[in-house]
Amino acid sequence: MAYIRKRNRRIFGMFLLPAILVLFLTTIYPMIYAGYLSFRSYDLAKIFVPRVFVGGANYREILSSSEFLHSLIVTFKLMAMTLSVQLVLGVGIALLVVQKLPGMPLARTLLMIPMMISPVIVGLVWLFLYFPEIGYLNYFLSFAGVGSIPWIASTNWALWAIAIADIWQWTPFVMMGTAAALQSLSPEPYEAAMIDGNSRWDIFTRVTLPQLKPVLVSLMFLRAIDAFKIYDIIFVLTKGGPGDSTEVLSMFIYRQSFTFWRMGVGAAASFVSLIIIVVLITLFFKSLNRDQAA
Amino acid sequence: MNVSRTLSLAAALATGLTGAAWAEKEYEGVELKMLAIGDTSVTRLAPIVDEFTELTGAKVQIDMFPYPGLIDKIVIEASANNPSYQLMWVDSPWVGVLGESGALEDLTDLVKRDAEEIHLDDIIPIQLQENTWQGRLLAFPASGMIWHINYRKDLFEHPEEQAAFNKRYGYDLAPAKTWDQFIDIAEFFTRKAGETLAGEVLAKDFYGNAQAYSRVAGAITHDFFPIMRSFGGQYWDPQTGLCAIDREPGLKAAEVMKELAAYNPPDYLGLMWDIRTGYMERGEVAQSGYWSVRTVRLTNPDEAVLPTIGEAGYAPSPTGDGNPADTMTGALSFAINSKASDREKEAAWEFIKWGTSRDMMRRFANEGSGVSQFHKSILSDSELQKKYPYYQVLLETQERAQRRIFHPFYADVEEVFGVELNKYMAGETESAQEALTKGCTKVNTRLKVFPEEMRLRWINDVPAEIFD
Amino acid sequence: MSAIILNKVVKTYGAVQVVHGIDLEIEEGEFVVLLGPSGCGKTTTLRMVAGLEDVSGGELSIGGKIVNDVAPKDRGVAMVFQNYALYPHMTVRQNMEFALRPMKLGKTEVANRIAATAGILGLGDLLERRPAQLSGGQRQRVAMGRAMVRTPEVFLFDEPLSNLDAKLRTQVRWEIGKLHQRLGTTVLYVTHDQVEAMTLADKIVIMRDGHVEQVGTPEDVYAAPKSTFVATFIGSPSMNMIAARVISGCLQADALSVPIPERFADRVSEGQAVTLGVRPIEIKRVGADTPGAMKARVEVTEYLGNEALLDLRVGQHELVAEVPADQRAEPGETVHVCLNTTAVHLFDTESGLTLAE
Ligand SMILES: Nc1ncnc2c1ncn2[C@@H]1O[C@H](COP(=O)(O)OP(=O)(O)O)[C@@H](O)[C@H]1O
Ligand SMILES: [Mg+2]
Repeated sequence: MAYIRKRNRRIFGMFLLPAILVLFLTTIYPMIYAGYLSFRSYDLAKIFVPRVFVGGANYREILSSSEFLHSLIVTFKLMAMTLSVQLVLGVGIALLVVQKLPGMPLARTLLMIPMMISPVIVGLVWLFLYFPEIGYLNYFLSFAGVGSIPWIASTNWALWAIAIADIWQWTPFVMMGTAAALQSLSPEPYEAAMIDGNSRWDIFTRVTLPQLKPVLVSLMFLRAIDAFKIYDIIFVLTKGGPGDSTEVLSMFIYRQSFTFWRMGVGAAASFVSLIIIVVLITLFFKSLNRDQAA
Repeated sequence: MNVSRTLSLAAALATGLTGAAWAEKEYEGVELKMLAIGDTSVTRLAPIVDEFTELTGAKVQIDMFPYPGLIDKIVIEASANNPSYQLMWVDSPWVGVLGESGALEDLTDLVKRDAEEIHLDDIIPIQLQENTWQGRLLAFPASGMIWHINYRKDLFEHPEEQAAFNKRYGYDLAPAKTWDQFIDIAEFFTRKAGETLAGEVLAKDFYGNAQAYSRVAGAITHDFFPIMRSFGGQYWDPQTGLCAIDREPGLKAAEVMKELAAYNPPDYLGLMWDIRTGYMERGEVAQSGYWSVRTVRLTNPDEAVLPTIGEAGYAPSPTGDGNPADTMTGALSFAINSKASDREKEAAWEFIKWGTSRDMMRRFANEGSGVSQFHKSILSDSELQKKYPYYQVLLETQERAQRRIFHPFYADVEEVFGVELNKYMAGETESAQEALTKGCTKVNTRLKVFPEEMRLRWINDVPAEIFD
Repeated sequence: MSAIILNKVVKTYGAVQVVHGIDLEIEEGEFVVLLGPSGCGKTTTLRMVAGLEDVSGGELSIGGKIVNDVAPKDRGVAMVFQNYALYPHMTVRQNMEFALRPMKLGKTEVANRIAATAGILGLGDLLERRPAQLSGGQRQRVAMGRAMVRTPEVFLFDEPLSNLDAKLRTQVRWEIGKLHQRLGTTVLYVTHDQVEAMTLADKIVIMRDGHVEQVGTPEDVYAAPKSTFVATFIGSPSMNMIAARVISGCLQADALSVPIPERFADRVSEGQAVTLGVRPIEIKRVGADTPGAMKARVEVTEYLGNEALLDLRVGQHELVAEVPADQRAEPGETVHVCLNTTAVHLFDTESGLTLAE
């Protein structure tokens, strides 16, 4: 018996080995290498720049750099903008699509399309929408009497332009998660409330929302991590501009690594952002545990 | 079928006559790949590379990419041990970083060897110099460019507009000699939809000027530096090899662009080269300064609306005081990957000679596709000048011209100043001085790591060793 | 005055009619139980009364007012659901508070009501717990408490005990009964369990396939079932049903022959197919020589303590007899039994309706 179990375990291990290897080669090794790079001066293009160990210089540079700080602020600003709208819209649309109305299943499927498109394509789609002279958005807005808005060419609008594209793409995700959660709620408490005469608003805020809370928190958490890494849409739409109004963390890292070719500084910035994500995750699970304990 | 065969026969004959006679399919079996931009310097040539195969046996495949991001691919290609591209399209500012890294094959001796075949003395010298690093020629011009002004000749010559301009500004409407005049003209022609332009009521807004203000790929610097040069500015301090962009000429150039912003389209902060030239090509702007590789599109109704609704005019860049000053050149060139095999290198050099030859250039001109030419004989050909009025401007301005930036840290300069200038134009930075000083500080931080002697070498424009 | 009146109430889902014109009157303070097998339309009827389902046809009035189009909250009813329908994220107190919220009462009034209800139902110690921290019986009481705090005119219960184990069921059933005595509120109570119906109801409404089969007190429906359906549905073990024919003054069923009881004599005709109903308790063991005694073979014996159930085979008929435990017989034994003919029921086989007056 024990023999068989032991053998099974070995066979099991053999099956897992390729997966572990792939995992190592694709994530762990690059991470270790990035960690190594972050302590070195490494210019990919200017190979005449000495590639040497520089201690914590890259980290010191980043942490004292106002640009890095700025990119962090922009990242969190964008996160707040997209998450809040996605939350409100996603829950709103979810409440709508779970109604037993004609056409809702179709609407639900159609609404999921943005989510399935690669972010680069989403960026391109919105690029065409945002073009000031030939873009559709301004064309449509002109009928509403709104003048031409330089969406991606204005420091006032660009971050919103990015946010709108991201909201367009990811609201369906929040909608889907919320709709699934809504449908798993038992209908009886709602009937009880209906008989008792509780108002719709009371029912929504005091019965539905509290029950959705764990799901919403998870959805927002996933969105927060994604928002922290947002890259493709910005790369296509603004590349961080105009000015530095959409210069998020990932753009900062990109520019360090692939415009200035300072791979060491880029790697160090990646690590700092990794640490921020890990801290976020830890705080999240802490708060979840606290919720459960309560 | 027939047409293309006749054409290739004609090309074979033409090249054959000029003396470049290849042994029958000498490079049979060689396959060349070129990492290139999808712009006029390549798009004219790409469809006819089969003719080269026909002549030499070598196959050529040209992969075209947008400018932003192209240098990334080239750098990665250059650091690979087994390159997949033997030929590379090179923007002249890249020769420093690629040259210092040894990524490009030295063409100096080949050029000297084949001087006669390539009509070396017919090529505008600054175009060759543009492609050198430390005196060695690392790339060969496929398109020569200068920064100059394109304007709506039909509007500038419209009597009502002329009268109105004179009345308002007290002097005659003509291509600007100074930046103050340029700003006047931009202001004058900026009209709202519903107002009248050249006797017609405008259906949509019309702009006095379009410049590249975008920070993407340092686009704004590609207009800013030529303007700075027209004020006599230099990138570097000749004593220290450090940044000199935050001096008087730079500040003036920044102020000029800031003032012009009011007369640019509302999306000016996002204007890339192609978007900015798009306004001119659609005839929606009165004047726009840019590089001649895109100017060539203005005579071609397939590529621009303007020839069908008006007429483009061409003028040298305005200057600070109105007196002639050095203008800024650039070259879009072909180079050979130093890691290619010897046989590939030979074939690649044959391809470069073929693709950039005077006959090829003349053929393009005759076929009607504008190319930013770099042979004196072509630019001064009076028949062609009639067809391509900008030839005159290209020819004249290059008599007084200086190279674009060629420093190995060019990318740092363009990116840093791209962001700083864009922020200033967007109103995020208080003053031009603050913006430029910030830029210089950043660049200098990275340069000061290196000994002064190295920095001075990097800014030293050693004359090309092909002329001795 | 009647608290609730159903007048030809119909319910259809799409093309399917599931409740076919129910007539029912419920007096104020009455405890009425809708009883019937699963799927017969009890819940649907109850939900129509609650206003959770639209009435497809007929009239429904509560407190003298037609309420077909009145919103649930304005009908003065409170409902206790089969699955309790508690708000899982709220404490017991919050559950009750939320039910009171629409009434916009003062804080002290709310607290008083909750305290009173908790006192009646013994929820005092549970007020700060959430549903997940309660047992099934406790949840059931909370659900009732939540309905009670509102002091409605009418209580509606939908199978409130079906999720409880047998012992708890008996206890809560008893509590519900006591509560009704104490509060005197009108109750409409749905169950498929006849014991609940018999023990709780003032009036039982027996439903079958969307029809009302019989309405009556527990005694009525037990003693005078109007149809074979009611006869077999009420009473445990079920009434024995024997197919018979009226032949020369006797009810003939194979080997079995019973003289027609007096009270049915002029209600049957010669040759009529009838069904003879005998409750197991009315089958007695007798001596072999007793007149009318029938020979029966014992197939199964179920000992229940005080009494025993004997599965008997009489000719081709299978009958169940309930006898005092000391009269039980072993399987395989042959015994003699006799039907108490004064207590038999007789139904017309074709219509299934009783032949009694
Ligand atoms: N929403 C509905 N749609 C269609 N048929 C239904 C629906 N609800 C109940 N029914 C049908 O109506 C009949 C009565 O159901 P119900 O009132 O729940 O029965 P009970 O409560 O007596 O078990 C059943 O046949 C059931 O299948
Ligand atoms: Mg039911």
